[in-house]
Amino acid sequence: MRTLKTLLVVWLGLTALLLSHVPAAFAHGERAQMPQLRMRAVHWIDVQVSTAKLGVNDIVKISGKFMPSEYWPHHVNSIEDTAYLNIGVPGPSFVRLDSRVNGVPMIRSTSFRRGELYDFEIVLKARRPGRYHVHTVINVEGTGPIIGPGTWVEVTGDPAAFENTATTLLGQTIDLENYGFGNVKWWSALWFAMGLAWFVYWLTKCPIAIPRFKRASELGPDADQMITPMDRRMGGIFLALTLTLIAGGYVYAQEKWPITTPLQTGKIDVPPLEQPTSPVSVRLIEARYRIPGRSFRLELEVSNKGDSPVNVGEFAAGNLRFINARILNVQPRDEHDLVAPDALRVEGAPVAPGETRRVVLYADDAMWETERMTTMIASPDAVVAGLLFFFDGRGRRYMVEFGGPMIPDFGMVKT
Amino acid sequence: MKVDKMPLPPAQTELRATEVGLTSAAEQHRAYVQADLLIIPLIVMLFMGIFSFHFALLVGDWDYWVDWRDRRWWPLVTPLALTVLPGVFGYLLWEKLRLPLGASLTILCLTLAAWISRYLNFHLFADFPMNFVWPSTYIGLGLIIDCLLLLTRSFFWTGLFGGFAFGLLVYPLNWPLLAPFQVPVELHGTMLTVADLMGYEYIRTAIPEYVRIIEESTLRTFGEAVTPLTAVFAGFLNIMNYWFWLWIGYLGSKAIWIRKIV
Ligand SMILES: [Cu+2]
Repeated sequence: MRTLKTLLVVWLGLTALLLSHVPAAFAHGERAQMPQLRMRAVHWIDVQVSTAKLGVNDIVKISGKFMPSEYWPHHVNSIEDTAYLNIGVPGPSFVRLDSRVNGVPMIRSTSFRRGELYDFEIVLKARRPGRYHVHTVINVEGTGPIIGPGTWVEVTGDPAAFENTATTLLGQTIDLENYGFGNVKWWSALWFAMGLAWFVYWLTKCPIAIPRFKRASELGPDADQMITPMDRRMGGIFLALTLTLIAGGYVYAQEKWPITTPLQTGKIDVPPLEQPTSPVSVRLIEARYRIPGRSFRLELEVSNKGDSPVNVGEFAAGNLRFINARILNVQPRDEHDLVAPDALRVEGAPVAPGETRRVVLYADDAMWETERMTTMIASPDAVVAGLLFFFDGRGRRYMVEFGGPMIPDFGMVKT
Repeated sequence: MKVDKMPLPPAQTELRATEVGLTSAAEQHRAYVQADLLIIPLIVMLFMGIFSFHFALLVGDWDYWVDWRDRRWWPLVTPLALTVLPGVFGYLLWEKLRLPLGASLTILCLTLAAWISRYLNFHLFADFPMNFVWPSTYIGLGLIIDCLLLLTRSFFWTGLFGGFAFGLLVYPLNWPLLAPFQVPVELHGTMLTVADLMGYEYIRTAIPEYVRIIEESTLRTFGEAVTPLTAVFAGFLNIMNYWFWLWIGYLGSKAIWIRKIV
């Protein structure tokens, strides 16, 4: 009875162990990341998702722009070293048919320059029905995934209808869902049968454990007497069979797939977009985060060298967007779109052409709290960064990044 | 208190001896068979557990994904990590039971565990197609070691030939399974292998392209000869590796607590 229990415990332990090796799934990691890293890593701009509902085999395109921050933290590896444009979905619920930055295919890894602007487009084909929060992601080597905005996308239809084919350079059309697997199964089964046969040969000598242990201990250095001529013959047969199968399999594969290439890797270069010179420049005077009011107060010095008065329409930081409703009408796409349509109050604007003046922004919203941005006061490097969108009288938009130290306000000191 | 050492009256001693003599052969056989029925499944499960954990830790992604099985790292890392259990348990099973099963049985158990895990976790749960996450086969390597041990009855020669073959043959043994995945395809003006294409299309958010440790080393300058050079290098390294793990098995068998159990 006790042995049965032991067996059961071992079996349960083993099952748990086997089940623990699950490839890392992806789910809403955005809030877990340090707020400073979120604010100072990548600014995502004008991210569009072509459809929120589609069927299996249908295409969804995610496009927009991004800008690596000038204020990229020094204590983590830079996006200027090695980076990869990726997509955050739970497992391969979609397949990626294409992904490009400034027109360059992003099959390989690359690097992006801080402060430069990049256009991206990712083309996905729906594979499994479900409702997915699809994020843009840039993986940075040594730093981890930098997660962009997410959108809910619903896939309907029959998963069995999914098709994914490719044509090799040898002209053969293959089904990527099962290509080569019949072959893998056959060879794996053959080798498994060989190994099992060898094991079974020794099992036929049952009982083996205790009698052989006793025999081997008795014989000591002469224990080799336990090996019978039949054993040796079997050893010879299995060795010859194994070596023949390895050689035969290799020759068979060389005959059947004479043309192969090594796995492809390496980095590719992406030239940044030309950026028009902006007539608006910004200097951060002070950034204060008032914890009791969940209110971010920015004091800026804004210079306008253009020919039309400018005002602030949007303040974006860490994937949160605070909109000045008097300038801009932006509504959240779904319940998790991090847009606060009327959360930006601007004092001291518009800034007239040729003028330099103090502008104060208040970005007040519970999002600071719900998106766990408030933990920024726990950072050892209390520097923030964000993107400001200025609009002039003729509807032209100018993007300006600012950054600098942040001082928390605990509501204890009257200012 | 040692009961068996207590002197019994002469009549009683005689009686017990006759009883034991009459029933022992059949009863002992039955007891031994029952011991086998208990010990062998336990050992199989133990090997499955220990080996899959060990292999996941040391080889991991190289065995999980078909686009990690390169010519340079996978055939080098794999035999070095794979030899540990065949060495340790090969020594114990041979020395204590004269069974040439240490290498093939441990690898057989690993293979079974790997297929279960890939099918349940990678295919059913995480939804990757099986042809992207199948486990490589190594059973042939185990058979070579065990058969050589049986034929030479020497750890030295088994290490020299078997250990070498174990490192050398990882790539040729798997080539009939792997070759179709290294056929070239074109995607948006870039040449890829089928394996690379699957790695690109079947999205892994946590495993971006650059984390693959493949094809990196100065050996790349040898061009075509990378595969055989790596194989021979892995073979030589693995001779020492196999001997080392045999020695660890030997140390284990000398451990006092094991002697106390058996
Ligand atoms: Cu999400």
